Amino acid sequence: MFYLLPTLAGLLLVLPIGRSLSGPFESTFPSLKSVRGRLFSGLILTCVSGMAVSFQTLWISSKISEGGNFCASNAILSCDDVIGNAEYNVDPILGIPWGGIGAAVFAILLYLAYSSSKEPNASWVAMHLKLGTLLTFGGFFIIALLIYYEFQMEKICQYCSTAHLANIVAFIGFFRLMKMNETKDWENVWAQVDK
Amino acid sequence: MKYNYDEEADVRTTALIRVMALFFVGIMIIAATTSPIATGTKSGERAPTLEGKFYNGSAWTDFNLESYWDSEWEEGDVNGQWVAIEFMDTDCPYCIQSAEQMGQNAYDFGGSNSEWDGAIVNFIASVTELDIQGHDSSRSEIISFRNKIADSGDDCGSSDCGSRPGSAHNFPYVDDLDQDNMKKWKVSGTPSYYLIQPDGIIAWSSAEHQGEEIRNAILALVPRESV
Repeated sequence: MFYLLPTLAGLLLVLPIGRSLSGPFESTFPSLKSVRGRLFSGLILTCVSGMAVSFQTLWISSKISEGGNFCASNAILSCDDVIGNAEYNVDPILGIPWGGIGAAVFAILLYLAYSSSKEPNASWVAMHLKLGTLLTFGGFFIIALLIYYEFQMEKICQYCSTAHLANIVAFIGFFRLMKMNETKDWENVWAQVDK
Repeated sequence: MKYNYDEEADVRTTALIRVMALFFVGIMIIAATTSPIATGTKSGERAPTLEGKFYNGSAWTDFNLESYWDSEWEEGDVNGQWVAIEFMDTDCPYCIQSAEQMGQNAYDFGGSNSEWDGAIVNFIASVTELDIQGHDSSRSEIISFRNKIADSGDDCGSSDCGSRPGSAHNFPYVDDLDQDNMKKWKVSGTPSYYLIQPDGIIAWSSAEHQGEEIRNAILALVPRESV
């Protein structure tokens, strides 16, 4: 829940309905008044949350390897069984824990989103947004593989699912920003406020 | 005064430093609070899973090696139960030859011998079928080998399974005829032996100690009350 809430908040901000939800915070965070500002805010929030939950899964896998338990359960929701499964908890090529890969990828996405938000009219922003969209789109294949693993184990890892959701939200955010970057609306922030 | 301003570089550099700092803080927290142990089959590594059906003397039932582990166990504690695993093939001549020694070891260290004051060692045989001509095995052959059943019609090697050396075994025999566990454990040949601590960490393996007997490893590594 600690990681799910910011991810869901990020999801709401990157969706077109974000305006109605960001209203109460606009006086404190004026950037939320524009579509671009909301998309960047939602994206950064999601990337931070995704990175944090990935670190959490990496920490859990390290703890389980020591012989400890963190969230073992006989129920279908049992992250120990998923993250602690030596066959499936590392990537099949380099043997790097999925949590470590997730943390590194979300750090890259955070860099792409954060740097673009700080200087949205720079010439390199379009490239950053395309790269973010491409990376998060590639993440769908990894998510499919990891969900397949969960089916094999007949267990669901709630932390992993939050990271998967964060990737989906990040894709929506990057994709919408990339599309907006190709229009005139991108530079006219005040025109977005009126929409 | 002349100012040089490079709008192409500053934000990206600042963002990169901030994100990297956040990333390394995460890595440092993990490094400071955990001591991960790799899963593998070398000494000091966590034993991989070993699952399947095992024969306990009456029926084939589910087996999971993890059920033996005690995460609370501490080094030197004689109350923890150790595990000795033999990867074998009922048609492998050396496995047949060593069956007597395995039975003797299981008796000496498995809790039945009053002279042994050390921690209990649970013996397990994981039986595979090597891809060698003439090595055709089956569950029936595993039972005949384990129970030393004479004239069962099952041949172990080229002889009747009932004629193998030693007495009948009473420890679990796991069916690994599909070689799943053997591949997971990267066992290159049979017999291969592993001695595992009660917390699931491999203490000794025959692959790393060529020429050494598992009996000597048990005597050297398993804690005893009198020592």
